[in-house]
Amino acid sequence: MTAMRVDAKVVMLGKESVGKTSLVERYVHHRFLVGPYQNTIGAAFVAKPIQVGEKVVTLGIWDTAGSERYEAMSRIYYRGARAAVVCYDMTDSSSFQRARFWVKELQNCEEHCKIYLCGTKSDLIEGDRSLRQIDYHDAQDFAEEIGAQHFETSSKTGKNVGESDLNSSTDLTTFTQFSVITSTGVDLGQKKDSYFYSCCHNN
Amino acid sequence: MSQRTERRGIHVDQSDLLCKKGCGYYGNTAWQGLCSKCWREEYQRVRQKQIQDDWALAEKLQREEEAAYASSHGVQTQSHGPFSKFEEKKTNEKTRKVTTVKKFFSPSSRTPPKKETQDSKTPSPSISRHASFDTDQVSKDFVEFLKNLQKPGREIHKQCRAFLVNMSSKKDISAEELSECVQDFYQNMVDRLMTHFKGSSESVEQVMDQVEKYIMTRLYKSVFCPETTDDEKKDLATQKRIRALHWVTIQMLCVSMDEEIPEVSENVVKAITDIIEMDSKRVPRDKLACITRCSKHIFSAIKITKNEPASADDFLPALIYIVLKANPPRLQSNIQYITRFCNPSRLMTGEDGYYFTNLCCAAAFIEKLDAQSLNLSPEEFERYMSGQASPRFNSSEGDWTSSGAASESTSINPVLVQLNQNLELLSSLSSRQERLVEAAHSLQADLLSWTESVKKEVNDILEKYPLEIQTCSVSAIDANNVDNENLPPPLTPQVFAG
Repeated sequence: MTAMRVDAKVVMLGKESVGKTSLVERYVHHRFLVGPYQNTIGAAFVAKPIQVGEKVVTLGIWDTAGSERYEAMSRIYYRGARAAVVCYDMTDSSSFQRARFWVKELQNCEEHCKIYLCGTKSDLIEGDRSLRQIDYHDAQDFAEEIGAQHFETSSKTGKNVGESDLNSSTDLTTFTQFSVITSTGVDLGQKKDSYFYSCCHNN
Repeated sequence: MSQRTERRGIHVDQSDLLCKKGCGYYGNTAWQGLCSKCWREEYQRVRQKQIQDDWALAEKLQREEEAAYASSHGVQTQSHGPFSKFEEKKTNEKTRKVTTVKKFFSPSSRTPPKKETQDSKTPSPSISRHASFDTDQVSKDFVEFLKNLQKPGREIHKQCRAFLVNMSSKKDISAEELSECVQDFYQNMVDRLMTHFKGSSESVEQVMDQVEKYIMTRLYKSVFCPETTDDEKKDLATQKRIRALHWVTIQMLCVSMDEEIPEVSENVVKAITDIIEMDSKRVPRDKLACITRCSKHIFSAIKITKNEPASADDFLPALIYIVLKANPPRLQSNIQYITRFCNPSRLMTGEDGYYFTNLCCAAAFIEKLDAQSLNLSPEEFERYMSGQASPRFNSSEGDWTSSGAASESTSINPVLVQLNQNLELLSSLSSRQERLVEAAHSLQADLLSWTESVKKEVNDILEKYPLEIQTCSVSAIDANNVDNENLPPPLTPQVFAG
């Protein structure tokens, strides 16, 4: 038994350098949640056991390559995902366009997948409001339209992130992830009788 | 027995019962009138001959195929290095039998030289038996494992056997249906186990791993790359495609690996070996393990280069690069096989699943790869694909970049540059050889003059100090008393008066 048992798949989507990896890093290194800390050589796949109610659920968090050249393949990645965190950089409007693309893809191909819209690098905006390119309400409206939850987060991206920023940002990040977790936990509960997802070999 | 009793009644000449070879032991009709020992020898001989004939035939076919391939593809095969030689299977139904024979011998041509140390299994005539030995071993392990489970273990074994029998009767159904059968079986088994273990998914998974191993080892031959699918065609297409893309460099893919660092290149080699090894495994889980190992090596390579953990943005391009370099045998078949027959819980969510998904992406990317995805202009891409031009390889790729030629070679084909370099090297070698011959001649002359001089010196000395042989005087019988004079005179008898 080399591989860790994983109960739910969470896929991270977003343009290159919006901070998907940092978000995962921030989340996994955070000691707020119980469970053993798993040391990985790469941050692309992380198995994270978390406590949901009385159960321990292991999340498999899949980082994906955000470059446009791999856009055609993104479908292969989110197949069978229980939740998707679609990230965009609040200081980069093009990344929001890409986020829209992924949301559409997800809605078309993976209807059971819960979507979480996640603005990143809020610490940059807090430092300089003129950097903001995506209005909070625009994003919020979009999230409501697609029935997704929306958060603005920050993971430590630069050295000028202060201690106080760090705290609030991790709270937000944790909050995002925790909601993901809770909902997957609930979904898992419902899906208990069918151990396997049926979507594996038919696609 | 009946024959024996018959014979007992009538008289049979003793010699009729003896071994035909005349070894003195009794023969047996079942062994064509030979004794057990002679029969075994005879049987081995015939078998050995058969094996040799098969081998010769397989080799001949392989040579023909290679020759045909080389003539049609010429340049590309050469430039692609050791990984391009992967056995192409014949689509032709009639040659199927020969192909299987060939498959037994093909590992030697498929495995890259780097793998030799690891893969010490030389293609032996008994390889078909070896395969069945593997299967037997797996069955034995399986039974051993199930013993620990006692009663349910027997039940599981019964079910698996029934399933295998059932599967063997299904010959002409499509791969999708086969897959469905296997997946249904997994699902049923899991349901049963879940009730038995009262929901402990850990133990269920453990049993399922064993079940998968047993079932798939048994079914492998009939369901891997079945004739009902076009997997084989896809394999060949992918393989050709990767060969045609031999010119793709690490920079074009934006891979953050620096192969000049020894540790990195070591990891790259290991990753390539692992991905190639995947084809040799039978159980889907073992194949996945190969992919995971390969991925881990890639991660270490990136980590060493970048000095920070790799993200998916680094990993996927690197994996694509590794696949392009390795050209893993039967890539599509393997992917299909894993998708169809792997225990889905593992494939869909776990770490293995993640890497497998990345491999699928890499394969899809390579299939669809165009100028845009490499940041090239369509014209450039066309020229590279047709082999008219080749991008100048970076220094890590080889020693093409010579100081003088580099500046002007941007427009020249690097093959020409290397050709020139080789010519230079040859001419320098020939001048060195001339020098060597000259030196050898002078050495010879020196040696000759040296003997002369030694002779002369010896003669001189002999002249100077001529040898005077002093003739030895004839020695008397008491000649050894040379020191007579030094001795006191012998005692003379004295007469004492009185």
